Formats: sequence, structure tokens, C-alpha cells
Amino acid sequence: MDPVKTPLGKMLLEEITPVVMVLRTPLVEESCLKNSLSFIEMLSPFCDFNNIDVPVRTSSDQPYRLQKFKLRLFYESDIKQPNIMVAKERLKQVITEAGEKDRSDLSTDPPDISNVLESSKSEISPSWFEIFNKELVRTVSFSEHEAFDHPVACVSVVSSKDEQPINKFVDLFNTNKLPSLLNDGAMDPKILKHYVLVHDNKDGPSEKATKILTEMKNTFGFNGCHLLCINSSQDEQIEHQDNPWAPYKFDSLPSQHLGRYLNIDDFNEIKDLIQELSSKHIIPYMEQKVRVLNQQVSATRKGFRNQIKNLWWRKGKEDTPDSSNGSMYTYSSVESQIRVLGDYAFMLGDYELALSNYRLVSTDYKIDKAWKCYAGVQEMMGLTYFMLDQSRKEAEYCMENAFNTYLKLGSSGRQNATRCGLWWIEMLKTKDQFKEAASVYFRICSEELLHSAVMLEQASYCYLLSQPPMLHKYGFHLVLSGDRYKKCDQIKHAIRTYRNAVSVYKGTPWSYIKDHVHFHIGQCYGFLGMYDVGVTHMLEVLACSHQSKATQELFLRDFLQIVQKAGKTFEVLRLQLPVINISSLKIDFEDHRTYASPGSTSVKESVWCSLEEEMIPSLPTARTNWLELQSKLLPKYKESNICVAGEAIKIAIEFKNPLEIPISISSVSLICELSATSDETNSDVSCSTSGIGNNEEHKNLREIISDTSSFSLSEVNISLGGGEAYLVQLTVTPKVEGILNIVGVRWNLSGSVVGFYSFGANYGKKKIAKGRRKAKQSPGNCLKFMVIKSLPKLEGFIRALPEKAYAGHLQHLVLELRNQSEFSVKNLKMKTSHPRFLNIGKQEDLDLEFPACLEKKTNVSPPANPKIASNGVFLFPEDLSVQGENLLLWPLWFRAAVPGNISLQVVIYYEMGDLSSGMRYRTLRMHYNLQVLPSLDVSFKISPYPSRLQEFLVHMDIVNKTDSESIQVNQLSTIGSHWEISLLQPIDAIFPSQSLIAGQAFSCFFVLKSCRKSSSTEESTSSLFPHIGSNVSLVPDGSKGAPFDTSNSPLADFHDCERLQHGISNQEAENSVDFILISRPLKNNAEPGVSDAHHVFSHHACHCSTASTSPISWVVDAPRTRHHDFSTTSFCEINFRMTIYNSSNARASIVMKTLDSTSISDQLRDETSGNQVGWHDVSLAKDNKMESDAPRNHVRKSLLPESVSAFIWSGSSSTRVQLKPLSTTEIPLQICVFSPGIYDLSNYALNWNLQPVDDHEKVGERIESSGTSLGYPCYLTVLP
Amino acid sequence: MIVCVAVVGHQNNPLYIQSFTEADDALKLHHIVHCSLDVVDERVNNPKKSGLTLNETFLGLLYPTENYKVYGYLTNTKVKFILVTTDLDVRDADVRNFFRRFHAAYVDAVSNPFHVPGKRITSRTFAERVSNIVKSFGLSSAG
Repeated sequence: MDPVKTPLGKMLLEEITPVVMVLRTPLVEESCLKNSLSFIEMLSPFCDFNNIDVPVRTSSDQPYRLQKFKLRLFYESDIKQPNIMVAKERLKQVITEAGEKDRSDLSTDPPDISNVLESSKSEISPSWFEIFNKELVRTVSFSEHEAFDHPVACVSVVSSKDEQPINKFVDLFNTNKLPSLLNDGAMDPKILKHYVLVHDNKDGPSEKATKILTEMKNTFGFNGCHLLCINSSQDEQIEHQDNPWAPYKFDSLPSQHLGRYLNIDDFNEIKDLIQELSSKHIIPYMEQKVRVLNQQVSATRKGFRNQIKNLWWRKGKEDTPDSSNGSMYTYSSVESQIRVLGDYAFMLGDYELALSNYRLVSTDYKIDKAWKCYAGVQEMMGLTYFMLDQSRKEAEYCMENAFNTYLKLGSSGRQNATRCGLWWIEMLKTKDQFKEAASVYFRICSEELLHSAVMLEQASYCYLLSQPPMLHKYGFHLVLSGDRYKKCDQIKHAIRTYRNAVSVYKGTPWSYIKDHVHFHIGQCYGFLGMYDVGVTHMLEVLACSHQSKATQELFLRDFLQIVQKAGKTFEVLRLQLPVINISSLKIDFEDHRTYASPGSTSVKESVWCSLEEEMIPSLPTARTNWLELQSKLLPKYKESNICVAGEAIKIAIEFKNPLEIPISISSVSLICELSATSDETNSDVSCSTSGIGNNEEHKNLREIISDTSSFSLSEVNISLGGGEAYLVQLTVTPKVEGILNIVGVRWNLSGSVVGFYSFGANYGKKKIAKGRRKAKQSPGNCLKFMVIKSLPKLEGFIRALPEKAYAGHLQHLVLELRNQSEFSVKNLKMKTSHPRFLNIGKQEDLDLEFPACLEKKTNVSPPANPKIASNGVFLFPEDLSVQGENLLLWPLWFRAAVPGNISLQVVIYYEMGDLSSGMRYRTLRMHYNLQVLPSLDVSFKISPYPSRLQEFLVHMDIVNKTDSESIQVNQLSTIGSHWEISLLQPIDAIFPSQSLIAGQAFSCFFVLKSCRKSSSTEESTSSLFPHIGSNVSLVPDGSKGAPFDTSNSPLADFHDCERLQHGISNQEAENSVDFILISRPLKNNAEPGVSDAHHVFSHHACHCSTASTSPISWVVDAPRTRHHDFSTTSFCEINFRMTIYNSSNARASIVMKTLDSTSISDQLRDETSGNQVGWHDVSLAKDNKMESDAPRNHVRKSLLPESVSAFIWSGSSSTRVQLKPLSTTEIPLQICVFSPGIYDLSNYALNWNLQPVDDHEKVGERIESSGTSLGYPCYLTVLP
Repeated sequence: MIVCVAVVGHQNNPLYIQSFTEADDALKLHHIVHCSLDVVDERVNNPKKSGLTLNETFLGLLYPTENYKVYGYLTNTKVKFILVTTDLDVRDADVRNFFRRFHAAYVDAVSNPFHVPGKRITSRTFAERVSNIVKSFGLSSAG
């Protein structure tokens, strides 16, 4: 690539060109200003010669041709180093202007990064950078150490109106006004002079001017004088197409007509003037100067001898101090001359000559440690290498060297370094080394914010342009630059950079960076007053849960500020604050299933279904009724849910605050849509909205909100603390029939921003929260409801149901049912999930006084059978209907059966009185949670009374397991008429305190007596009075209150439930006994000993078995002691009886055998021990073997010493008896004793064999049909 | 002192970024890590230029900023580890050693069946282990 055609080449050809100093009188300027132009501005369009072909001959003999030439014109006052402050102001102005012009697309969305990459280079970086960079380069012009800014020629201009124009020319050269460069010897004051007389044609004809010109020619020589006539156009203004001056005037206003009085003649005249000046004067002058200087330099510096001399001479100056400026070199010094030679050669395009001279002088400067001059020369060397397009490496090395040297100089070299850097960057860019260029940009960033902002932005574009594009760095530098722009109040630039950065970070998970960018861009838009755009950016940062608390506060505060400034409420679809947890969405609505309390809906549908199973009409009946009706009514909407007009649909949805700071949310309500049944199309349209883009969705939502006449919505205000989540309950109540569609939810954040959330788009994937009857329903439809006309609805609750109770707690409750509508309901049915806990009472129980009703009445009437169907469904009386204001009250009995957490469900079924309605029946579902605490732990152990038939010892253990309650034990009852219970000892003796404090245990003994007569009588009574039993009062007789009636409801009903729970039917209870222990908690310590009249505990123990022994029981009715005088008769005969009782329902055949020797029996037992497991047929051979338990054997051995003399059984050794069921018989027995002592009459055995009366025993019920029982110890003391 | 370590996924998504400074400079460190990804890409795309051998996971000094030195490491699953340190004189062996241990910790963390690949690493064990590695950085050479 031709270096001349590169941007840097063009730039150098423009910037490093001969400077012409212009001296003019004020009248000249005045004439020119008529055209709104200064003199220089008027001339400058003509100073550029692009297509010329001028032969130039410098040092060599061979001329070459110059294609492009340019003159730079400056007033003498401008030829000086610009003031830094002024320069800064100028730069700032450039930036601000660029910002003003850049307004165009501020509010559009940031571009997509892929689009940015595809766009061309020129599109990427804004065009004003070139202008800025040019200005930046100009801030260091006219420095002393660089000769290319030193004026080559001087043009003095005097107006023809001036008095004494010749003197004026002389005056203009007054040295006071001349720039310091000329005066302090940095450059040769003998420069080419040219004299121009300006004549304004408006002031009159040019005769006078030509006269002055002749005079001038005489005075200053023929060649150097010129007449320039301007403003030739006569009064009419000339509109220039492609106004040539426009590019040279930055701050031109369109109203100004630049050059309005300059016609084509003036044009040509100016053109000729400049052309002549350059081609006839300046170029030849420069050629000549180059030749002269070259000769001088060759004479003094070229050649071996000169070099040696030079070195030797330099050595002598080694100890000179560092001179940072070039003032030590005057124009006459050799170094300056070489530099001038180089610069002139450069400007004339003889780069070889320039380079050789630069090289020559750079070593000199280096040795002299004139660093600034050295850097300047190095810089020029770099540029020359570039223009020669020879050695890139050399060029870059020189530039870097120059750059670093300038930087070493400190603040004085800073600006030069910047210029050098810019040239270097251009050089790198030409070679597509964008990455390196970017790093140079980064290096020329100064502390000054605005400057570095521009540099960083340029660096970022370099990163973007590099191959492959370095997007991360691009973004980073944009952010850095934007930050600086913002600090300098260059808001529009800041927005541009940040917006570009957004396109980098969009869609990446670098949330910290993204938040920063969005926040600042939002702020910037806020400053500019573009609140809408600002808010959209701010919205991005709202859900910044990863940020620190302070940052979150800052974000939220600024967001609200911007919103406030905007002065309107924003409506934002998908506002991120608060976060809506869509998976928490829960819809409660009531079709035929109605719920008594909100908690009821949390119970699984399957639980309710199983409860309702037996109550609701089975399918075939239903089909003829409401399903048919429904299918007629709603041919198309079978799949949608049904709700009833006037009844609220409840939606619960979780709002979560992701921030650590509290936010307040108001007016949370649902967005719904209700269309009439016939209006099918509308609902279809709304269904499909979810697929449409955001804007339309938004519009749709807004439309929907406006129409709220046909339903009413609830509004909720909440305030969420940091990180808090809150389940918001919202309701919508449709007022008319139709299709109700719940679209979404809206809320108001901090009173200024309205957020919308559409369920439809996101809900599709989620599982529906509540069980549906139709499992295959499409998910979108769960928010769609078919509203049918209003129906009666039963409301109900149970009065005073405790939430916490001790186990056994018994209470009388009232169920309250109410029907608000005027239509009646009928056929009420009811079922509870836990009949052990909740029992349905009789209507007449309603007014009973509790607990007095539990007490035993004198006239016991047989209880009426309650209307409980086989499956536990309670039918209310048929004539009962609930309607209007009437309350239906119904008694319930509550008993906390077992400790633990109980979920109690009650379902009430009812049918509509009005058959024309959409549904025939509804159910009311009630749900209660109950905590039951342990109270008394009662256990019973029953063992046969050793010495009595049909009697048992009952060992009752009670432990008070409550935490703090004291409990008084009142009464123990047995259930069933064939048991009688009594205390073993008077209660006062064993239990004086009468109450158990917390943790206390207590045990006492009772005697239980079986008074079963025969099977026939017993059956009849027990069926009639199944619960009549006997009671023992455990409180002293003096205390108040009649005994509790355990044979009546509710205790009896609960007892039945308990029995059912244990799973054994009544019939199987021959050998088991049921107990009910009734106790009362004592009131707190204030009144010790007085039981709480309103609390009764009942504890039921069922099937405490008495049948631990065989069905055969016997009692040996032997005397305890016997006196016998062994001296008279050597042996003593003792007669006694054994009473045997058959407690089974079968006929028993019993063989009683006496055994003589204990030792033999022991032996035998050992042999048979292997067969003891299970029951087995006892063979004849083993009949006389005795089986015994080990403990008993042990006891016998320990108690009976060896010395005990034996006795012998006299009388029959084997007796066989047949025993009828439930009957007794007696066997006479006799023993002979030979010496006094204690005798154990236990060595006998009873073999029994049951013969079933009838064969109705079921298989699997293992009633032992035969067995062997061993005798139990019975001691007989024979005294001499 | 190590001021920041980061794990960046193969789509340049941050998986784990932890700073070990007192000051609130999360944004700055995020930017530094984010920028260094460019250099990682460059190194990976021009292995010859940067002198990397084929199987080398350690990318060396990515770039020196004003106050920090940034080192990189690339696993065979294209997950990048970035280390930002304020130490001016860091031995290469130390950094290599650090990255090796860091890599082991990362492998253990993502081997957790409850870790979703491509999602942020939230394991507390990993964080503890990393902070231990960071604490012990440079100690081995000193001792």
C-alpha cells in the first residue's frame, strides 16, 4: 500500500507542510469579514494543491516531481506554542460539539454485537475522532525543536484603504509583533517575504490600488508584490454550491453566507495568488535552502575527518547538564541546520535526504542529551521510514523510542508524547496491528479524565477491529471510557460508550458488570431527561440479589428517583421486583366441592375422594342428572374448570424479595377476563396471546385490565423485608356467567411502577397445584373457568373445636351449618375421617349440659339406634333443609383418641333443592388440624385370681405423661354385663391424694369377677345392652357427682370405635374384658383437689385378655393346716376337693391324674422338653408325664428342701369327668401324710380335651382343643 | 497476595469468582477476569506465537495491569482458571503448582453428582478448599 494514501500519510501531507506567516492590517480583516471569513479562511481553500506536477530538485542533480503540496497559513499571533489551558478548552469544545451532533440514535436499543462486528471500520468508530486527534496534534505545534512548523515565508497584507500602505508594510514587520520563534533565535529571521495589497471592490474602483502596487513594486522589488481584489460581486449575494469554505470553518452557522460577495473573478484571483506564491516563491526558496544547507552540512559533518572532529568536539561538552529544551541550539548551530534541512526535505517529499539528516542529527542530540530534540528527531525518523515504506520495524522502533523519550521528560513532554502516540497508532493501524494500537492508546491516557475517556474509547474500537475481535477488552475499555465521560459530564458520549458496552455484555452471566453498565446508562438517561429509556435500563439491575446491601439500596433509590422524575407510573411487563415464584401458584376454586376453611384445600384430593366415595351418587345416576345437564349447557367447555358466579376463586402466589432491603408492594391484584358464554372467539384469541411478542402481550394485558365490570378483584398491600417471601392470597369473584380466564397478576412497586406478570406464558410447563378430576386436561386450561349461575352453598364450621387436647379429652361440640342463598338444600349426609375422634351425636343431644350428661341417670332407656349407615355415613333427617338465615346446629362428640398430630376431615354432602341448577349436589369439606398430647398412660394386666374360680386380679398401671397437668382419676368401668369389678382395697388406703401430678405413676389392683351365666341368656342381654358394665369409683364416696354412664353415648359410641380400631368383633370377646378409665384434669394449683368440671378424659382399653390360661380352671380346696398326732396313727389321711370350671363354650373332657414322685416327673420333663413347642397330640404313653414351666420347677426346688418328706396320693389316681360349657364340677381327693411338715400338693396334672358343640368355628381360629395343665402350688402344713 | 481467583466456563460464563480482598472491588476484579479471557482466547488460538506446547494447560502470565498480574490456565474441557495477584515477583513454579491444586479441587467439585455442569459452583467445600490453596500460595517456595 502506498504510504501516501494511508490515513497517516494523508495526515502527514496535511500537517507537515510549509507554514506561511500572514501579517495583515485590521482593514484587511474588515473587508474579508464582510464574507464572514477571516483573511486566512478566505485563502485556505486554495492552499491545497492535490493534482499538481511540479519538478523539484533538491540535493541530487536529478529533479523529481511533486504531486501534492499544501501551504499552511497562520497569523503571526498564532505562531506560538498554544496555551495548555486554551488547548484543553478547545479540545473540550470539540468533544462537546461532537456529543451534541451525536444525538441521533440515543434512544434506540443497543446494537447486537454480531451486527457491530459485521459493520465496516468506518461505521464503528465515530468520525469526530479524526477532528479531535487533529486538534490534539495541533496543541503541540510551533515548538522550538521542530522546524516544520517554522514559517517558511511571510506574507504581509495591507488594504488599499490603509493610509500610507508602504509604511504599513514596514510597520507590520515590527519585531514586537513577530512571534517569539523569530525573535529568540530559534529560527532564521531572514525568511522569504511577500507583499500583498488587498483591494475591496465595494470601496470603489481599483485605480488607487494599482497605483499603490506600482509603488510597492518599486519599494520591495518586482517579484514579491501582488494585488488582490475581493468582494467583486455587485450587491447581490452569491450562493456557492459546494461552498469551498465550509470545511474550513468549524463553527459556521447556516445563516452565514460564507464568501457571499466573492464572485468567480475573486476566486480565480485568490487561486492565482496562492499558486504563484507557492510555485514561484516558496518551492524554489525551499529548494534552494535545502541545497545550501546540504552543502554546508556536507562540508562540516560528512566525511571521516569531520566525524572524528565532531566526536572530539562533542566529548568536550560531555559535562554539560541535561537540557530538556532545544534552546541551546540557535538557528545558526549545525544541529538546527541539519534539522531544518531534514524537515524541508521531508516537506518537499525527499524522504531519503530527510532520513539521512535526521539520523545524523539524532546521534548528536543523543550525545548532547538534548532529549526533547532527540525525541522529536526520532519521531520524524519514524514517520520518514513510514513514508518510505521501507522498514516497519525501524519505523516502529523509532516511534516507540520517541514516545518513551517524551514520556521520560515528564509533564513537558506529555503532549508531544500524545502526538507521537497518535502518529504511532496511525502507523500501527495502517498495518492492521490494532491490538498494539489499542495498547498505545491506553498508554497515552493521562490523568485528565476527558482526554483519557476519548483515548480509551478509541482503544476499545481498536480492540473491536483487531483480528480476531477482542470483545472482552472492547467492553472493558468502553466501560472505562464511559465512566470517565460521565465524570466529565459528557453524558451523551457516556451513553454511547455504555450502550456499546451493553451489546457486549448482553446475554452473558457476568452480572456484576452488567449491573454496573445498566445502572450507569440508566443514570445517564436520567440526566438527559430521557426517563423512559432510563427506566428500562434501570429495570435490568433491580433484581440484584448478588450485590451488597448498600449497592442494592443505591440501585433501588436511583431507580425510584428516575421514576419519580418521569412523573408517571410505568407499566412494566415482567418487572423483576419482586420475584414471582410461579411454581407456588395455587388455585382454589369451588365447583361441586366447597371448602369450609382455606386449610381444607391443602388436603390431598384423594383423601377427600375416598371420604366422599360412599356419599356422592354413583356414576350411572349422576349421568342422568347433572352430567347430562352440564353436557347440554357446555358442549365445548367440558375441559375447563367450573366455578359458580358469586363465589370467589382464590389464587395464592408467592412473592419473593430477592434484595436485602425491604420493598413495599401495593395493589396486588389479578388480571382476569370474563367473556360471555356465547363469545367463543374472544376467549380463543386470549388463549393465543401467550405466543405473541412482548409489546402485544403488554397491550393485551392493559386492555384486559380496563374491563373489570363483570367481576370483582381483591387488592392486597404487602411489604416484603429483605429476602422475605410472602404467599399472597388473591381472589376474583365473577358476577355473571361466562368464561373466566385468569391471565396474570399485577402489582405496584413503591407506588410508582406497575408490574405485570402473565401466568399463561410460564404456566404451561408447571404442574397444576391441585388435583383435577380430569388428569389429561391441557395445562393452559387450569386458569380458565366456566362460570355457571349462582348456587346455594353451605358454609359450616365446628364450634369450639380445640386445637390442642390431651389424649382422652372428651368434649361436646356443635356443628354449625348455614346456607346464605334463599334456595334450600336437602339430603344432607356427613362423614368424618376419624370416627374415633369425632362422633356424630343425636339431635336431642344438642342442648345437653356437659359433662353432667355423662353421668348415670336413674332411668336408663335403651339407646336408640343412630342413623349411621354401615360405612360410617351419617344421614341427617330427611325433612331437614337449610335455607336463608336459618342455622342448622348439630351436636358432635369429640374425643382425642390417641396422641399425635391428627388431620381431621369432615365431609358434608348436600343436594340442591332446585333441580334446574347446573349441579345437583355439592359437598362441603371441612378440615381441622389437631394436636393431641399424651395424658394418662393406662395399662392393664390380668391374671387369674389364684384361689378363686371365675375371678381375676387386674393390675392397673397409670402414668401421667403430661408436662404439667395433674389428673384426678375418677372411675374405672368394665364394659359388658358379665363382668363385675371391685377394688381390692379401699381407695383411701392406696390412693390418698386422689390425683396424679405430672410424671407420677400409680398402680392399683382390682378384682374382676366373671358373672357369665350361660351362653343363651348372655347373648340376649348383651345384644340389648352391649355396654352395660360395672363401675368402680376411684374417688372417695363423699365427693360429688354420680358415676359416669359408660353404657350410653357418647362414651359407648367411642368405645365401639375403639373396639373397631382394635379390629376384633364383639363375638370374639369371650375371654377379654374392656375397661374405660375416666379421669379429670385438676385445675391449676389455685384450687388443688377440685377437678375441672368441664373436662373429662376417658381412656379405653379393649380386649384385655383373661384367657391367658387354658379354658379349664380349677381350685384346690384344701385346708391350710392340719393338726395330727402322729403318735396315735402313723399316717394322716387328708380329704379335700378340687373344683374344676370349664370357661369355654365347648364340652370338655377332663382327666385328672395324681403323680407320686417329683423326681420322676423331673426326669420325664427333660425327655419331652424337645417337643414342647406348639401344641401337639398327647399320646397315651405320655399322659402321665407332667409338663411344667421352668420357673415353677425352680420355685418348687428352692422352696421345698430335700428334707421334706413325701406324701402319697391315696384315693383314685385318675379321674375322668365330662364338663358342660360354663359349668363346674368337683372331684374328691385324698392324700396320706406320714410325718409333720409342709407339703406341696402340686404334683398332679389335668389333661383336658374340648369337644366342640357345633362346627361353626372358623378355620384358622386356633382354639386349643386339648392340653395338659400342671398343678399349681398349694401348700398344706401338717402340724403334729 | 492473591486477590482473586476465578473459574470461567467454556462459553466464557463465570462459574466461580472469589476475591480475597477486604475492599469492595468486586466490579474491578470481575472486569479484570473478564478482560483476561481475550488473552486466553488469543493464546489458545495462536499457540505457536505464545510458545505454548500442545499439551500445556498453563497459559502463563496473561497480562500485567497496573497493580496486578493475571495468570491463566486452561483445562482440557476448555474451562479457564484465572489468578489475579498483586505480587510482582512470582515464581512460575508456584503458579503452576497453584493451578494444579486448583484444578484438582475443581475436578472434585464438578464430580459431585449434584453439581449441574455449566452452572455456578456453589459448593462450600470447594470454596473452603480454594481459600486454603490461596492461603498456602507461595509458602512452599519460602519455606
